[in-house]
Amino acid sequence: MLRAGALLTAGGTTLPLTGCDLFDRAEPTPPPDPLEPLAGESRELAARHRAAVAADPGLADRLTPIADAHAAHAEEIQRLIGRPAPSGSPAPSATGPAADRDGLLAGLREAEQRGRESAAKACVAAPGERAAVLGSIAAARVTHVEVLR
Amino acid sequence: MIRGQAPTDPGQALAAALTAEYAAIFAYGPIGVRLTDAARRDARAAEAAHRARRDALVLQLSAGGGQVPADRAGYALPYPVTDRASALRLAVEIEERTAAFWRAALPVTTGADRTRALNALTDCAVRATRWRRTAGVSPVTVAFPGRPA
Repeated sequence: MLRAGALLTAGGTTLPLTGCDLFDRAEPTPPPDPLEPLAGESRELAARHRAAVAADPGLADRLTPIADAHAAHAEEIQRLIGRPAPSGSPAPSATGPAADRDGLLAGLREAEQRGRESAAKACVAAPGERAAVLGSIAAARVTHVEVLR
Repeated sequence: MIRGQAPTDPGQALAAALTAEYAAIFAYGPIGVRLTDAARRDARAAEAAHRARRDALVLQLSAGGGQVPADRAGYALPYPVTDRASALRLAVEIEERTAAFWRAALPVTTGADRTRALNALTDCAVRATRWRRTAGVSPVTVAFPGRPA
């Protein structure tokens, strides 16, 4: 009894509950979808390309279509997940010190290459009905590397 | 252009991909003769890559005891290839079209088969991107390689 009481007390201090939280079971939080990280990665890649264009507007022609593609990927992944992106945009990745054009492109290339790996893994692990979209996303990320050379 | 139904099993999907590879190999003949220098070398390399996929598919389908569709003497091109511009346009279309067949194999395959299909889709997408760049088409990438328009 003493032990259970202590646990309850601990729970009460770390998770302050209102009456509403205790009794309202109408909207349980759905379990996270395995594709959430990939959608977040697409949003982050879009943000990185837009940040690079802001830092070096001469790259706009090359990078804007790529940023748009990542945004379209994020939307399509959310459609697969069946609900919109969680509110509160993801923290933009650290932009780091201002880089020259070569440095910007090298950073983006590396990010796209990492992105290719995660999209390819997600594609191979996914149920069939998700595999085609994820495959296109993995392939698109490799074509981005090509553009960034 | 062949536009089949979505395949429902791996054998069907890989057989369809094989017919697409046959057609791509055929198309690179007339494409190559209209190109010069680096572009012609790229066409030869692309044709060799499609031959390698073809050979791997023939072996895999034969080993699996499935139907191995036969190559045909010729394939109808969507338009005559009369100059560099039409050759490059067809090269882009051939790669996107072949990518679509590999993409269609993703939902009905698993494991190593799906990884192979993804690699083939990706290679086609990268070649399509390179051909767009050679042709001076902008943007050089598409958001969802292989997705039917």
